[in-house]
Amino acid sequence: MKKKILLIDDDQDFLMATKLILEKGGYEVFLAEDGKQGFEMAKSVSPDLAIIDMMMETWSEGFNVVSRLRTSETGKQMPLIMLSAVDLQGPYQSFEPPEDMPSVDMVLHKPIKADDLLKYIDQLLS
Amino acid sequence: MTKNSALTLIIDDEESIRDGCRQVLEKSGYTVITEGNGSDGIKIAREKRPDVVFVDLKMPHISGMEIIEILSKDIEDIVLIVITGYASIVSAVESMKKGAYDYLPKPFTPDQLRAVTQRGLEHRFLKLETKRLREEKEFMERNFITFVSHEMRSPLVTILQYFESLTIISKDCLGQKGLDILDRCYKRTQNLHDLVEHWLDLSRIENGTFFEKKVPLDLFSIINRSVEDLNPLVQRRGLSIQTQLPDKLPEIIGDEESILRVLINVIGNATKYTPDGGIITLSADYDDYYVNISISDSGIGIPQDKLPFIFEPFYRVKGKNDRVKGSGLGLTFCKKIMDAHDGKITAESNEGEGTTIFLNFPR
Repeated sequence: MKKKILLIDDDQDFLMATKLILEKGGYEVFLAEDGKQGFEMAKSVSPDLAIIDMMMETWSEGFNVVSRLRTSETGKQMPLIMLSAVDLQGPYQSFEPPEDMPSVDMVLHKPIKADDLLKYIDQLLS
Repeated sequence: MTKNSALTLIIDDEESIRDGCRQVLEKSGYTVITEGNGSDGIKIAREKRPDVVFVDLKMPHISGMEIIEILSKDIEDIVLIVITGYASIVSAVESMKKGAYDYLPKPFTPDQLRAVTQRGLEHRFLKLETKRLREEKEFMERNFITFVSHEMRSPLVTILQYFESLTIISKDCLGQKGLDILDRCYKRTQNLHDLVEHWLDLSRIENGTFFEKKVPLDLFSIINRSVEDLNPLVQRRGLSIQTQLPDKLPEIIGDEESILRVLINVIGNATKYTPDGGIITLSADYDDYYVNISISDSGIGIPQDKLPFIFEPFYRVKGKNDRVKGSGLGLTFCKKIMDAHDGKITAESNEGEGTTIFLNFPR
C-alpha cells in the first residue's frame, strides 16, 4: 500500500508542483490549503508524514499547525517537515529552528530539489 | 496646522507686551496664550504644545535663555522666538544656538510681530511637512522590501518548484534536448531568484534590519563552516582549498551568519573563476589592529583598470569568462557587510595569474 503524505501550503501552485514530485516518488498525496484544513485532514487520513509551510496566512501559521499536531494523538509521532521560503541563515541551507519552536523532524528551504525531497522523506519514513 | 488654528504662547513678565501681542495676534486670527512667569510658561508649553512661543530674554527667576534651552530640547519642532529689550548680536547668536528660530527686538511694531509670527509658522509647517514626507518615504521603503519579498520571491519559488516537478515527471518523454532546455530555464530562473534574494539582503542591510546582533566571534569556526559549505562544489570541480591559518586568531565582534556569507561569496567567486583542478588558498593572520583573511584563486584574474569597480552593483568584467553567471550583487553585498563591521574588503589581481580578495576585520 502506498504511504500517505499530507502537504499543507497556502500556495496552490506550490501544492501542485510538490504533489507531482511526491506522486512520482510513489506516495499518495493529500493537499490542504490552510492550517485548519490541514489539521482536520491529518486526523481523518492519518498520513505517514506531513509537510507544512511555515508562513501561510500569518507568518506563524505553520508553527500553529505543528503545535496542534504534536499535542494530538494522530500527530504526536508523525514525521513532520517544515518548509520555509525565507532564507533565514546562510545561503540555501536549512536553518536551526528557534528554541521555542515546536519540534519538527526537518526544516527545508523552498524551492526544494525533487531528488533531495524524496531522499529526505525516504530517510524519515524508514 | 492651518493659520487659523495656530497656537501662540507669549512668555513675558511685562504685562503691556503680553497684552499688545495678544491683541495683534488675535486680530490676525491666531489663538494666543500669555504667561508672565517663566516656569509656568514652560509648563503651559509642555501641556498645550503651541506652534510658536515668544520668550522674553530678561525675566526674573528663570531667564529666557534657559526657557529656550529647555523647550527646544523638550518639544520637537517647536518654533521659539526671542523678544528682548537689549538687542545685541551676542544674545541673538546665543539664543539661536540654544534653539531659538528668530529674534524680535523691542520696541517692535505690530507689522514686525505679524511678519515674524508668519515666518515662524511657515518654518514650522515646512519642518513638519519634511518630517511627514521623510516618514512616508521610510514607510514606503520598508513596505517595498516586504512587497519584493512576498510578491516577487514567492512566484519564483513556485516556478522553480514546477521546473523540478516537470523535470522529474517528464524525464522519459522529453528527450535530452527537452531536458536541456528545461535545465536552462531552471538555471535562468534560479539566477533571477538569487538576484531578488541578494537585492533584498542589500535593502535589509541598508535599512538596518539585517543583523540580529553583533557578538564576539571565533573566525576559525566561520572559516571551517564556509569551507565545509563549499566542499561539494569544490569536489565536483576537482578544486582544492588550501588553508594557511595561525594557531590562534583574536576574536572579532560581528554577526556570524553574515560574515559566513561573505566568506562563502568570496570563496564561491574564486571557484567560479578557477579552472577545474585549480587551487584556492585561504589564509589568515592578524596584527595589532586588524584580523586579516585573504582568499586567492588561480583563475583568469581581473584587469587592473577594472579592479576599482568590482564592488559596484551589477558591475561585470566583460570578456574572457562570460559564461560565469551571478546576480552581480555578490561583492556589493560583501562590501556592505564589511562596512557594517567597520572592516575592509579589497582586491589585488594579476591577469592570467589569479585574484586575491583581502578581508580586514578590526579587532
